[in-house]
Amino acid sequence: MMWQTSKHANIRSRIGFFNSFGWANLALLFAVLLSVLSVSPVALGNSTLKETISELEASQQWQQTLKEARGQTVYFYAWGGSKPVNDYLRWAAREIASRYKVRLRHVKVADISEAVSRLKAEDGSKSAIDLLWVNGENFSYLKAQKLLLGKLPSAIPNTTLLATEQLSLHNDFGVPMEGYEVPWGVGQFNLIANQSLFSAKNPEQTSITPADILSAAERNPGRISYPRPPEFHGTTFLKQLLVALTNSDPRLFALATPNAQQQLLPVLWHYLDKLHPIIWQNGSAFPSSNTEQLALFTQQQLDLAVSFNPNQMAKEQSEKRIASNAQRLFFDGGAITNSHNLAIPKGAQSPAGAKVVIHFLLSELAQKHKVDGSWGDPAVITPLLDPASTLPAQQELHSSWQQVIEDTWQQKYGA
Amino acid sequence: MNNRLLAKSQLSPSNQLYSAIDLGLKSTAWVLVAIIALAPLFGVVIGLWPAAELDWAAISRFLGYNGLAYSVASTLLLSLVAPLIALYIAFMVYSQYRFNRRWQSLEKRLAPLLSLPHLAVALGLVYLFSSGGMLWSVLWGFVGQTAPEWLGLPRKSMLTMILAISIKEVPFFLLIFSAIGRQLAIKQWLLQGRALGYSESASWWLIVFPVVLKQSRLAVLAAMAYTLSVLDISLLIGPNIPELYAVVLYNWQTGFTPDEQTFAFLGNLLLIAMLGVLIACIYIHERLVTKQLANQAVMANPLNITRLSGVFTAWLGFFSLLTLAILATFLLWSLGWNTHSTFNTANWSTSLWQDEWFFMQGPLLNSLHIAFFSSILGVGVTLLALELQRHNKRYFPDYLWLLAILLPQLSMVYGWQIVHTSSNASYHSSWIILSHVPFTFAYSYLVLRGPFQSLNRHYELVAASFGYSPWQRWWKVRFMLLRPALLSAFAIAFSVSIAQYIPTLMIGAGRVATITTEAVAIASGNEQSITAVYILVQAALPFIAFLVASILAQRTRGSVDAEHQ
Repeated sequence: MMWQTSKHANIRSRIGFFNSFGWANLALLFAVLLSVLSVSPVALGNSTLKETISELEASQQWQQTLKEARGQTVYFYAWGGSKPVNDYLRWAAREIASRYKVRLRHVKVADISEAVSRLKAEDGSKSAIDLLWVNGENFSYLKAQKLLLGKLPSAIPNTTLLATEQLSLHNDFGVPMEGYEVPWGVGQFNLIANQSLFSAKNPEQTSITPADILSAAERNPGRISYPRPPEFHGTTFLKQLLVALTNSDPRLFALATPNAQQQLLPVLWHYLDKLHPIIWQNGSAFPSSNTEQLALFTQQQLDLAVSFNPNQMAKEQSEKRIASNAQRLFFDGGAITNSHNLAIPKGAQSPAGAKVVIHFLLSELAQKHKVDGSWGDPAVITPLLDPASTLPAQQELHSSWQQVIEDTWQQKYGA
Repeated sequence: MNNRLLAKSQLSPSNQLYSAIDLGLKSTAWVLVAIIALAPLFGVVIGLWPAAELDWAAISRFLGYNGLAYSVASTLLLSLVAPLIALYIAFMVYSQYRFNRRWQSLEKRLAPLLSLPHLAVALGLVYLFSSGGMLWSVLWGFVGQTAPEWLGLPRKSMLTMILAISIKEVPFFLLIFSAIGRQLAIKQWLLQGRALGYSESASWWLIVFPVVLKQSRLAVLAAMAYTLSVLDISLLIGPNIPELYAVVLYNWQTGFTPDEQTFAFLGNLLLIAMLGVLIACIYIHERLVTKQLANQAVMANPLNITRLSGVFTAWLGFFSLLTLAILATFLLWSLGWNTHSTFNTANWSTSLWQDEWFFMQGPLLNSLHIAFFSSILGVGVTLLALELQRHNKRYFPDYLWLLAILLPQLSMVYGWQIVHTSSNASYHSSWIILSHVPFTFAYSYLVLRGPFQSLNRHYELVAASFGYSPWQRWWKVRFMLLRPALLSAFAIAFSVSIAQYIPTLMIGAGRVATITTEAVAIASGNEQSITAVYILVQAALPFIAFLVASILAQRTRGSVDAEHQ
């Protein structure tokens, strides 16, 4: 802090020196100064961050954690369906082994609810899971059942790097994290479309409206679909439509009262009634998941895919799995944004090892490798924050809307 | 000890000792067999019971779940129709091949045909035959046009699902028939049929089919239970408006709201009730068919179905071609080919194989040793269960032995997991082997019971008259007679163990990774190239088991089968 104030004092004395040059020069100087000031907070922030972290790393608590972690094996339950993610974790395991003498084992699961069911069976006793990749309703359940270790941020130095304010990382689908999980990456809902789909649109344009989707479906019958709710991506697609169709009605961000439901939801169902007859298989079947939809997209059965990874399209293109002229689009009002997170079960056998793994996964090196490598998952730490590649964010709906939307969808279109 | 026994024991003290040991051994054996056979029931009771607080409001909400009736009805229809189609096709194939030079090649090729996983068949079919699929594109490509939409197989529909399952189950039934057929004097029956003036094809249906149908009840039930609860292919190619019942149930089971927990409990009960319906259907179908055939025989009506049978002389060729096409598709995918590339522009590379091979070795070894031990144990316990029942001269109903196949697996294993974790047990692979044994046991019981019961006792009598001891008779005669069936049972048990995902993950806590846990996790991402790598490796394991079993079985034939050839 001392360093910061002294620099400001220095600048002020220079202003005094330049005063004699007259007003025109002063205006020029002001412009220069402003640009210096707008850059400096980041630079300043970064160096203090580094200092704070090295202080924390030197603390006795962390040294103790490192000592305990040495030689431990950390069983990390994480979805295993993505080669880029699996490769990333293989890389991380090598790095962690050589830096901290901790062995990271990725336990690949088809669905993280399998880990939740295990924690439920163990009921807080000795757990086979040391670390898990979680968010949304799984987290909310585990937190409510008190099955997670708390106070993670104070125990892990690199959590200081988290861009909590800029990325609004306090809540996980409306549930406060309160130190029971630590953000690992950011998801922003976006659409991947073949160039022909929205050809009427200006190719430079990157955002679309529900009306664009409807007219594209009319022009290309059978080429659009979305994952069947209650699959997470499918429900998010509906939420985005709802926000857009109601011009972001403020009631969507509060508890879903029966009154609000009655007034807001019909416009969505009315829209879907028009859309469904002209989409894939006339709405008589839907992809089961976003990954299945992407597979159908790569097999040229569909012209539209959905994703929570804003960099997915670029990565798929570089692997030559999708055409180079595909477009990434997001909804006009902004992309629904959320984080995916890391949590440690209360009964973990190697909690120290798990903390070390989280510490590493939040480090600049690991976060940079995550966004630059084949995965492309956006970073969550301040030094790597990249506003240019971040999509405008749309606030998540109040969590009560999710169940309402899914249930009504099932009532209307599920059978 | 009563007087009569005392009197007897005074006559020969060694006899008393023998019978005491015998009694001790027998009761130990019964306990062992009961533990294995009833473990599924135990697991379901533990796994389901505490989950739910029931009230009428919840039950009525459950019954009011939109689409429940549809999805139950369509799932029942699917589970009934697809296995029966497979059964009929398999029987027609069997009748066309059995007393023919073609039989040899069929038996030889059954192994690779059986070892392709369900998921692979489903994926392959859709990829080859859907509109825009590879096959139609290539065929129509010659004419320079795109294939019409209606010609293709829908990506997701009941039709696709029925087709995939009925195609996939045919080799399974053929294996069952070949085990049953070894014990039946089919050739004599056909001769008798001819003496009565029936054509050979009519005799197959009138005489052989009713017996085969009765003996393959369990196999049909196993196929139906599988179809009823299969998740991965239901998600991938099943209709989802409404969803198939397995998917609906899975969503409840993995949900956490109190409503979902209650629904999961009720849903499991409903699943068991659906199984009851299917069991009833098996009996009804059997009775109807037998009656119908008897009528036809008495009235000497021509059997229309015999005309259809002729088509299936081409089955082996067709099915081999299909399997090859599917394998070729996966191989191309795994080497980097995709829809965007032609043969010249694809970035062909083996890097995926090289990358993954390094990480695959551990899981491969785990898979192999778990499957080996659990199938040996499963087949052993099956023999024990059959012997004990034979001694008692009373066979328990089959459903009791097949609980592992019939009861919902997720709740069952969840119950085991609760016991396993609360007893602070380790996650060593021996626990996984134990958790696979109920399944390998049930499947080998399925394969072995028929052959065991219809074993010709004559040989053992002859052996006894030559002065062979009971143990010698058992080992030198019965075991040898059973050997081909035992080998089939072992191969099936082996592939069942290889395919287990839920018990391996839940009991091993993921610390013991197998090819299947890796493959299922990776397949959940729908990335075709890497999924293809794992599916190919996963298919290779049962293939090896079937191949070894069929080679050994062919070597040990000869005298045993000669009687019925």
